[in-house]
Formats: sequence, structure tokens, C-alpha cells
Amino acid sequence: MVTFKINGQKVQGEEGQYIKQVAEKYGIDIPTLCHHKALEPAGMCRICTVELFDGRRSRFVTACNYPIWDGMEVKTDSEPVHKGRKLIVELLMARCPDVPILQTLAKQYGIETPRFKAEDDTCILCGLCVRMCEKMGNSAIALTGRGIEMKVDTPFHTQTEMCIACGACASVCPTGHITLEKIRNEITAKSGVQLIGSEYDMGLKGRKPVYVPYAQAVPNIPAIDRDVCVHFKTGGCKVCVEFCGVNAIDHTMEDEVVELEVGSIILAPGFQPFDPSKFDAYNYSNHPNVITSMEMERLLSASGPTGGHLVRLSDHKEPKKIAWFQCVGSRDMNRCDNSYCSSVCCMYAIKEAVIAKEHAGDDLECAIFYMDMRTHGKDFERFYNNAQDKGVRFVRSRVHTIDPVKDSDALSVRYVDDGGNLLQEQFDMIVLSVGLETSPEVVAMAKQLGIELTAGNFCKTDTFEPVATSRPGIFVCGAFQGPKDIPQSVVDSSAAASAAGEILAAGRNTRTRQPEVVPEVNVVGERPRVGVFVCRCGINIAGVVDVPSVAEYAATLPYVEFATDNLYSCAQDTQDNMSQIIKQKKLNRVVVAACTPKTHEPLFQETLINAGLNKYLFEMANIRNHDSWVHKSNPELATRKAKDLVRMAVTKVALAQPLEETELQVNPTAMVIGGGISGMTAARSLAQQGYETHIVERSERLGGQGHNLYKTISGDRVAEKMGALIADVQSHPKIQVHLKTELSAVEGFVGNFKSTLSSNGNQQELEHGVAVIATGGSALQTEEYNYGQDPRIMTSLELDKRMMADDPALAQAGSAVFIQCVGSREPQRPYCSRVCCTHSIDNALELKRRNPDMHVYVLYRDVRTYGEREYIYKEAREKGVIFIRYDLEKKPQVALADGKVQITVTDHVLGVPVQIDADLLTLATAVIPNRQEALAQFFKVPINDDGFFVEKHAKLGPSEFATDGVFLCGLAHYPKPIDEAIVQGRAAASRAVTLLARETVHTSGQIAQIDQLMCSSCGVCISICPYSAPSFIAADARMHAGKAQVNPVLCKGCGLCVASCRSGAIHLKGFDNNQIFAQISAANWE
Amino acid sequence: MSEWEPKIVSFLCNWCSYGAADLAGVSRMQYAPNIRVVRIPCTGRMSPKFALAALREGADAVWVSG
Repeated sequence: MVTFKINGQKVQGEEGQYIKQVAEKYGIDIPTLCHHKALEPAGMCRICTVELFDGRRSRFVTACNYPIWDGMEVKTDSEPVHKGRKLIVELLMARCPDVPILQTLAKQYGIETPRFKAEDDTCILCGLCVRMCEKMGNSAIALTGRGIEMKVDTPFHTQTEMCIACGACASVCPTGHITLEKIRNEITAKSGVQLIGSEYDMGLKGRKPVYVPYAQAVPNIPAIDRDVCVHFKTGGCKVCVEFCGVNAIDHTMEDEVVELEVGSIILAPGFQPFDPSKFDAYNYSNHPNVITSMEMERLLSASGPTGGHLVRLSDHKEPKKIAWFQCVGSRDMNRCDNSYCSSVCCMYAIKEAVIAKEHAGDDLECAIFYMDMRTHGKDFERFYNNAQDKGVRFVRSRVHTIDPVKDSDALSVRYVDDGGNLLQEQFDMIVLSVGLETSPEVVAMAKQLGIELTAGNFCKTDTFEPVATSRPGIFVCGAFQGPKDIPQSVVDSSAAASAAGEILAAGRNTRTRQPEVVPEVNVVGERPRVGVFVCRCGINIAGVVDVPSVAEYAATLPYVEFATDNLYSCAQDTQDNMSQIIKQKKLNRVVVAACTPKTHEPLFQETLINAGLNKYLFEMANIRNHDSWVHKSNPELATRKAKDLVRMAVTKVALAQPLEETELQVNPTAMVIGGGISGMTAARSLAQQGYETHIVERSERLGGQGHNLYKTISGDRVAEKMGALIADVQSHPKIQVHLKTELSAVEGFVGNFKSTLSSNGNQQELEHGVAVIATGGSALQTEEYNYGQDPRIMTSLELDKRMMADDPALAQAGSAVFIQCVGSREPQRPYCSRVCCTHSIDNALELKRRNPDMHVYVLYRDVRTYGEREYIYKEAREKGVIFIRYDLEKKPQVALADGKVQITVTDHVLGVPVQIDADLLTLATAVIPNRQEALAQFFKVPINDDGFFVEKHAKLGPSEFATDGVFLCGLAHYPKPIDEAIVQGRAAASRAVTLLARETVHTSGQIAQIDQLMCSSCGVCISICPYSAPSFIAADARMHAGKAQVNPVLCKGCGLCVASCRSGAIHLKGFDNNQIFAQISAANWE
Repeated sequence: MSEWEPKIVSFLCNWCSYGAADLAGVSRMQYAPNIRVVRIPCTGRMSPKFALAALREGADAVWVSG
């Protein structure tokens, strides 16, 4: 250790360090232009000149490369130093008068105009770039020439391959003599070096070789891209190592092969967006204003390359007119091999159009060119209707070519409209709605795993086992199972988890370990003793906020017994240390000023628990995400804000009380309401995973709507396959079936329900921990199209019945007509029934099979054979099924005349009415839910306008309710085909098992509590709570009869009741009024 | 008046806006430092009294987001 003095202050440094390094450690600023932490100093710019007194005399040395020695005395800010630096700056200024950093320095040293002759250079010959280039392992540039001829140049003035255009020289150049712009123009543009495109931003933005893939990445730590990192090209650089405060970077790390022994594999490799560059007629590769829908997503995103400001890429001007082209890379055998429908593009295009209008204003014209509008998901049809109301234009046409408009950035398209007119139109931007496809890597993986694929390269599955691959034990979910949207992928993933769970049930909880429990210290009634730990987070916080001064300040606050700063508070050794300090200093409240409680609160609470403190005696001050990261250019105010945030946290935590988390047993029994296909699937899955399950079915048999269906599109007889499922359910020792039974009452809550089952006047009580609602739906009974007046007019299900019975009249019929959307997609029922297009087309094919000469017509509005269902639409057209489109305003007319069923419909191609005499008329009537208002009341779960149950979250919680312990599947959620009903049955079981497997549930400590003495029994809390947590205490109770109470198990701690309580009787523990008021007043703006 | 900056107390819902403010940090979006955040479990917790208290304690504006 070397001890010496800087400006009279005693300082210490390591042997071999330079003056500047030590000064930096003590926060003493010495200006420099040519110094870089990762490079050996060279003393080229001379601005770091300081005065050195060696005991006898004073002299000037450069601080960056003068080694320290014991007893020396350094002055960094003396008058002679100031004078010396002034002269240096003046000379540099004369050489480079236009360099901003020199102008700033000149101003600082009081130079108005240099006394010397001004030149017009921008390079100060500091050589930093040369040293950096050498560090990169390249040495492509050097200081060449002598005296006034000296300059930074390449050997012999020629550009060589040594320069890899890494840009390191530009990144360190203090004057802007070398810029990335110059490198781009002079080197990269010529030698074809590409900028590194950010994958997350679809290449619309660049990224560095060291990068975090995107803001929400998990884990949120940077990665080094070996393909582009300079070190892996030249062996040099490693500059990042010098900057990493915790030595986390290791360039020698190699890929590891990890072997895992597993009992099951779930494949969720996803999809890749279709690459439209091969469609040269769309000019995607050549024209910046033709973009893909994925690029559009980024342009519309607030975290995207333009911050959500919608611009076209050619000139960054706001577009006035945008078109979307649907089915690019889908439903296309002509220009690509994807004949399936990608399922999601119609919906995302509408979403993008609506958001684009929201961002750019109503004047933005949006047009979507499509073939069939496929908005078959829950609430999607409404969104489609709303988009039309908002002025999004829908054009039914497939456009062939996009032509750039000469001398403009606009694009021109020619298309044929619905009426057969050839039109030409110009757009500022065209978005190609690209489809989903399986990547070649995934295809190779499938081959390696030995699993079969479909014609479209998706994983081959069975209708009745939709998440099982062709190889036992390997399951699949998401877009690899078939193109699908987020909700369906989420349902799939839960289903795959339960499928794997079924075969692994025996191993559940066999490898768990119990953590050691530290007894909790009782601190109630003690005076608060607050400990404050201020985190530097490396330089993330300390680079902006003056952390030591925040810790110092914290120590002065009331009740604070201890305050310190940590380099990384979340590091394991720091955690152990904090735990020790809490015990030693007998702290009973803790504040950590660091990052965000959203990610780190649980970790620090764990530290408290390990120190024997209740975890609620804790508060975080967010001085990173809400401070140092967002106020980089204002360290002073950021430090002040950090102090304020710490003060607010300390004030709040001083009022914190230890909170209790009650533990409740979960009854390991499940009740499934509804014995249809999805209900039975859920029950079987629960039982297979070891949980006793009861099926409550109101009819006299299991099977539900499955009994009405003839076959699936893959050719399976429903009766056969469902028969096997029914047999499984009936013979399973853990399943009890209650037929002709309904629910007449439900009490209790998650883990502890008590339901009353009524059957033939008999009542039976059932205690269960979870409930699955699978109450199903049915076909709409219609009076439209003369239904019921002629035996030849029937519904889809009636046609299925006749097929099952092998009715000879079917094969004898000369003509058959299907009318689609009977009762669906109409104002009184504005949703798509999802299954009818596929069902009718499959039946049309079946009729053709029975009688190839039969004339079969399908009258439709949009054909919605999504995913690989599209194949049967294609097959039907090939086999001669005629598809005639009709509009809602011009529905087909059905007349019974001369013993014939006469159907009149306006042909969409000819534009004239066509009359068809049908021997069979099938009406594809809507799927309607079995409206279950009583059940909704029992479990406090919502029903939407259409009568379907409302799930917890449309995208992320499709198979469960907001009410804990209640799950959802099948037609009760939304119309769906058998495979999707089965997947959701499994998904509901999977979600239920996450609860059952825990055996106990813990309530949160931060919940509402009612002071009954203050309660006026007004009932506002009861009516307002979305989770049904408050209730009245029974009128005949001994204490507080008629007052409100909160069930701690149901309470989610939102505080809605607290804010609404007129009597001030409700407290939210952990966020009580006194705590929030204290926080507000602690933000006292001095 | 051009130097004047309002002092803002904001009440952010833990589940959305507070997380969004975190994300603004992760994305290094820069904004003025004259804002103090009070984290609440849900905007349902927000009471008019909190807004009044903040104004009384010297805030020029109150921002509730959730």
C-alpha cells in the first residue's frame, strides 16, 4: 500500500497504480482527453497535468501515467496547474477550433480566442484510437508521419482487411474526428459489413455484441454474441472485462452439454414468421415501405425503434394511408408451400390497424386486403365489428403485385374488388401479414426425436389426444402443435403439463427439500430500529446517485440505527452479511434502497426471515429503475430524489407491523360440474394425478354434446373414441360420477368448498378443494329458413344423427345445401361459433363420399377453416363442392313450393340470384352456452353478454377464474371443436393441480381487516369486492352480529374496500392509511 | 416562470403502472426527476384523501395511474 497526499488529503493506492487511478477512487476529478480505463495510459493529451512535490521541488507530471510512490504530494487544482492546462487547451484549441469538447474546456479555462494561428483540424493526435485498435487485436491504424505531417492513418494510406469496421476507434475518439458515420460511408458500405440488427426489433434497430435481448428478458443479464464480438474474431479487446465490477465476464466459457434424466418431454419450440423476401412481386426486399407485420408490431410498440411513433421507413414521415395484405405465406400453394391457414393473422392485422389509428389519429386510412376474415376467437368478432365502425376498410381481394411509384416513396397496387372492378390505389406503407411456419431446425429436431409431422410440418396429434406426439412421453404445445394464438397456446401448455403430470404423478414431491426455519423474533411494542442498506448496484446506481451521501443521510433519519452502502445488495455474501447485521444491531425494521420491489422484494424478505424478522417489516426504495436509470444526466437531483425515496421508505417502515400469513389445508378432492367431453377429460386427468374427483352431471348419461357428433375431420368416430373416454371415467377408482344431479348450494372458498348436490330430491354434501366448471353448450334451435316445416331441412347435428344412422336418403339425395352462420355473427349474437365451417365442409365431403354425383353447395359469409382445417376446404373445392358467399344484408331465401325446398341466393361472382332445389338443407346453427346463472352466483364468477363464462384473463388465464380454486373448460368458455375442448379440460385440471399439489395455501399478510366496532353494516365493501372476500357476520352471532368481516383467504389485498369504506372501519395491512399518509408527508419537497 | 417545475406525487398501481415505471428504467427512458412515487397495491386503494394530503404537503400535481 502506498500512502501519499492529493491536495493535502492523505490517500492510499496500490503499488504500481498511477495518480489518476487513485484520485478517481477518492472522487477527485482530473480532466483528460486520451485516457481510457481499459488501456495503458500514454500521456498524449497532457491535460491531466498535475503538480508534484517530491520533498525538494515542484514539477509537472501527467497524472494518467505517473506511478505513485510513498510520501509524494500532488496538487491537482493549484494555480500553476490551472495555468499549465490553460496553455495546453489553448494550443489544442488553435489546432482544432471547431471541436466541441475543446470549446467547453476553453470556456472552463477562460480562453476566448487562442493567441495562436487557428488551423482547421479535428484530430488532437492523442492516439487513443490507435491504442484502442491495438487493444482490439488489429492495429489497422497508426500515427504516421512526423512533426506537422503526423496523422492517424492506415499503413500506406490504403484500406486493408485488417480493419473489420468494429468502430472501437470511433467509440473512444474524444473530438469526433473519427465517427461511426464515416466508418459506415467509407468502409462498411463498400465492404459489405452489416450493422448488427436487434433481433427483438426485427432488425429495425441496431444492437451491441454485448446485449440484453430485450427489456423484459429473463434472466435480465447481458449476453455476449460470439459471432460478432471482436474478441472472438481477433483475440483482442476484452474491454468489457475492465468495466465489469464483479468479474462476471469469462470469454473462455464454452458450450456445455448437460445431461438430464427426465420422465417426459414437452416440446414448445414455437414458430418462425414467414419470410416474404421470396415474393419478388411484393418488393419486400427492395422497398423500405413494404414491411412485415412483425416489423409493424415493433413500430407500434412504445419500446420499439421509434418509441411507438408510427412512421414509414423510407423517410421517417408519418404515413397517411396503410394497407395490410393477408395470407402472405398462408393458404398459398402457388408461391409457397403453406396451404394451411395461420389462424392468427386476421386478428393481428385488425389489431394493428386499430392501434395504428389510435397512434396516428383518425385521419390515418387503414385498409385490410383479405380472402376470408377469420375472427373466430372469443370476443374477436366484436373487435372486427368495432374496427369497421372505427373506419378500418376491409377489401376482399388478394393483391398480386406491389409497384413502387416513380419519384415518390409511395406504393401502388392494382386489385379487383368484390364487384369485379379493376382498381388502382396508392399507399404510403404496406404491411404483409406473414404467416406462421415451423422452422427447419424444429423439423430437424422432430426427426431426431422420431415424432411424426403433418403435411404443414406441424406436430402430428390425435383429436382425442391433442397434446400427445406420436411418441409416448413426448408432448407438444403452442404453435408447433398447429398455428394458434396466445390464449390457445396457453391452454395447450397447461394441457401438456398435465399430460406429463399424469405419467409422473408417482414422483410428485419425491425430490423436494424442506428449508430450515429460523424462529421469528417478537418485535411488537418495540421502538423501531431501522436499518437502511443503500445499494450501488455496481455503477448502475452509484454511477449517477451519490450513494455514500444517501447512506449518510439515511443515518440521520428518525429511528434509523444503522445505514450503509453495498456494492451489490442481492449478492449472496451481502445477503448473509445483512442478516448478520440485523441480528447484531437488533434491527427490527429494514429498508433496502436499490432496484424494484417487483423483482427483489421476495429476495430481501427472505433475508429478513433468515434473520428471524417478520418479512413484512421491510420496505424498498426504488432508486435504480425509478431514479438512477431515468435521471442519468442529472446526478444532483437524482441523489436528492434518492434521499427523498429513502426518507419515504423509512417513514413508512417505521409504522410497519409484523403480519401473519395463515396456513390453510387444501382438501385434495375435485368436483367437475358437467360430464361432457371436456369435463370428463378434466376429471380423468385429475384422477390420474392422484386426486379424488367427482363429476356432477345433470342428465342421465355422460358424454354431453359428444353424443350428437358423427366424426371428426381426421375420420375418428366420435362415439367410439368418446366411448373409451366414458369407460375410463366410469372405471377409474378415483372418479365418482353423480348422474341426474345438480348443484343446489356452494359454501366456502379455495381449498375448502362445501357443495350440496341434489338428485331426485335427495341432498348430499360434498367437500372439495377445487371446482371445474364444464357446463357446456348446445346448438341453437332456430325458426329461420323454414326450419321445422319440412323434414329435409335440418340442423348440422341432425345431419350428423342421420349419418350415424346411415340414413339411405342421404346417399339418394341429388343436391344438398348448407347455410352457414345461422344465428351466429348477427347483431343479437355477435360472435362466431368457430366450429360450423369445418363441420359443414366435413359433412359436405361426407355427402360427396356417399354420393359423388350429388351437387353440394355451401352458402357462407367467410369460410373459417383455421389452421390445418384449411385442407378440407381445399379438398371440398377440388371435389366439386360449390361455395357461394352471401352477405348479412342479403341472406339466402328458403321457400317450400311444389314439394321442393327452393333456396335463392345471390351469387357473389355473377351478382345475380341463383335458385337451388335442395333435397337436403342443413342449417349450421350457432353454438349457445347453457346459461348457468345460479352456478355463477354460487362460485361468484362472471358471465359475459353472450352467456359464456368470463375467464381470469383472456390471454393468460383462459382456463381459470379470478375466483381462486375455480376452473373452466369446454363450451362453457366459448364454442370449440372436440380437440380444443379436450385440451382445455386437461388445462383446467392442470391449473387445479397447481393448487391441489401444494396441500396448503397461505394467505397474504397484506390484506384488509375490518374493525367491527367502526363498521356501520352499510355493505359497500361486500358489493364492491371483486373477490367476494367481505361478508356480513350472521345476525345471530354472539359478537358483532350483522357487521362485515373479511375472509383472509379470498382477499387479494387490493384495498378497494378500504378506500370505499365510509366509516373508515377497514384497514389494509401493510398499506394502511397511516403508512401512506406518512409516505406522502415524507415526500416533503425541501 | 420558465424555471418553474411542478412537483408531482404519483400513486402507481403495483401491477401495471409501477411495473411500467420499472420498465421505463430498464429501457433507460429519461424524464424529469421531480416526481415521487407512492406504490399502492391497486388503484382501488386510492383515496381522494391521499390526493388532498399530497397537495396539502406541497405537491403541485397528483398523478394516479393504474
